[in-house]
Amino acid sequence: MALFQRLRAPRRPIGHALIACLLLIALALSACASSTSGGGASSSAPIRIGFSITETGPQSAPAKFDLQGYQLGADAINAQGGLLGRKVQLVYYDDQGSASTAVQLYQRLITSDKVDLLVGPYQTDLTSAIAPLVTRYKMAMPAMAANLEPFSGRYPYLVQSITQTPRYMIPVIDLAATKGYKTLALLIQDTAFPLELAQGIKQEAAARGIRVVFEATYPADTNDFTALVLKAGAAKPDMIIGATYLADAEGIIRAARASNVNAKLFAFSIGPVEPEFGSALGNAANGILGTTLWFPTLKTAGNAEFVQNFRARFGRDPDYHAAMAYATMQALAAAVKMAGSLDQTKIRDAYLKLDLQTVAGEFKLNNLGQQLGYQSYVLQWQNGKQELVWPPAVATSPVQLPHPNW
Amino acid sequence: MLQLQTYLLLLLTGIMWGGVYLLMASGLNLIYGVMKVVNLAHGDFIVVAGLLAVTLYGAFRAGPALAIPVATLLFLLVGGLVYRGLLARVETTAPQGELRTLLITFGLSSIISNIALLIWGGQYQSVPFFQSAVHLGALFFPESLLVSSLLAFALAFAVQLWLTRTRSGRLVRATAQSELGAASCGLNTGRIRLLTFALGAAMAGAAGALTVVLIPVQAASGGFMTVQAFTLIALGGLGNYLGALLAAILLGVIEVSSSYFLGASAASAVIYVIFILVLIVRPQGLLGQRGRI
Repeated sequence: MALFQRLRAPRRPIGHALIACLLLIALALSACASSTSGGGASSSAPIRIGFSITETGPQSAPAKFDLQGYQLGADAINAQGGLLGRKVQLVYYDDQGSASTAVQLYQRLITSDKVDLLVGPYQTDLTSAIAPLVTRYKMAMPAMAANLEPFSGRYPYLVQSITQTPRYMIPVIDLAATKGYKTLALLIQDTAFPLELAQGIKQEAAARGIRVVFEATYPADTNDFTALVLKAGAAKPDMIIGATYLADAEGIIRAARASNVNAKLFAFSIGPVEPEFGSALGNAANGILGTTLWFPTLKTAGNAEFVQNFRARFGRDPDYHAAMAYATMQALAAAVKMAGSLDQTKIRDAYLKLDLQTVAGEFKLNNLGQQLGYQSYVLQWQNGKQELVWPPAVATSPVQLPHPNW
Repeated sequence: MLQLQTYLLLLLTGIMWGGVYLLMASGLNLIYGVMKVVNLAHGDFIVVAGLLAVTLYGAFRAGPALAIPVATLLFLLVGGLVYRGLLARVETTAPQGELRTLLITFGLSSIISNIALLIWGGQYQSVPFFQSAVHLGALFFPESLLVSSLLAFALAFAVQLWLTRTRSGRLVRATAQSELGAASCGLNTGRIRLLTFALGAAMAGAAGALTVVLIPVQAASGGFMTVQAFTLIALGGLGNYLGALLAAILLGVIEVSSSYFLGASAASAVIYVIFILVLIVRPQGLLGQRGRI
């Protein structure tokens, strides 16, 4: 499209070019004017926090929880008197889940809307796409991207505000080690998040003396898991663990049940945490373990109040995405207060120094901006309901293991 | 002995998956065979029927026994409306006719999947039916797979009987062979095309309401399903009923066995390598003209 426009441009009558020039000049002048007026009124005008979020498209369900978490977080900041004596205001656009759209939108937020602060979009892919841009403009940005790639030192202005991927299933391995389970079959969806997750599982398993007796990857569009599950079962593992999303976790359980492949423990990264896992599998969901990054019953700082306010404002229960987004706003407020100004480098340094109790747990980073404080938790479907079962200190119900034969 | 059992299990599972793929492709095949229209919204029909089954389950705890007739009738109507409202209004026989129908059904696909997204959201959905195992001797089969494939083969057989043994089926075949010829013999080809499109859509509806017990769907899954279904019917020879059956079984067995012996990541590559080879060696599909509608 851009190519066509460039090819056509010389053929345009000169009048159009002139008008375009005039418009450009006018735009530049008005931009100057607005930025000076913005500067002048800085004591009273709201602090604007910009981001893009996936409001439409297949990825929109979790992203809307992110959006509502951000909105409730901004409300909470304003209820406590705002930041640096000013109210905060959210400026956001729909990126439709597209990385290239997200890049355009962050460009617009930074250069045209001139927002004061940034927070990240939904998903690692989009975060990775905007990371170079955000870094070029030296804007500090907390991002709910679980993979470590955007936080490997290349983008010093990005900080991680979600549990890092390799840690997602550490408590499952901890639970297994406590139960004395020794062998593990690992099924991994062949995409970025599950692959990084599997590395974390293998490291932790090795550290706890658990052997990986079977390991296989499969493409995201796999329908039939029979062959995979049969091979995993042939290795006679104590545990079958999947680095999965929802559809494949259901497929593996269906295949295991139908092929009578048994293990003492079945656990999946994403899948059991979604309510649809229970409605899709019915009784077969019972006994299956999953991980979550947050739970409504956790005794984290202000959690009960967060759940109550979220229900009151949006008429539904928050999920872990919403909690992570709310906690991101809590971290943002604390970092800006610590920096004492909107100087992005100072804010970035403040993020790195923060040690803050949020609804999602302890926000604490290493000097690369990787999240060290946030944990993950194990839930289990029991009688058609999700119960938090591990670690024991926060459990809502004792864990039911071993998984009975199908 | 145990090895032999596993191989037998893989073979039978593969054949059953073939049945499921056939079920998902037969509506597309019928429509192409008669009308030379590739319905790019086919996958979206399947997805919406599946999501409808999820809603029926959520509201009434109703299983496929209710969802299949509801979805079939609904999509019979949708198919009829789409034909009357869209496809009948464009010149499909002109040189650019096929391109026009591709564009129309592509647009339709986009509209349907986005409406589905508004109604059902973007999450994967499924229903808990036919989840137990069926024992055949020492072999275990997923009940959902067995039921889906039996229905698929039965449906394929019924369509075959209809096309070859009944008067209305012969009229459809006559129209498929030569629309001009059929029209000049006094057949109302417009009505036959309407009937075909409505039936093809109804088959997609039935497929969606049933396979959702096996394959979780989300609003945007339709595009991929259309591609899968199209691959299958192209492999069998477009519009070819026997060819589609053969291709379905071949694809199912290859997918399951290569996923066992070569790994799941290799399996999808193997299928498309075979597809490309068939297109090079036999561009008319496995059976080509023989067995055409």
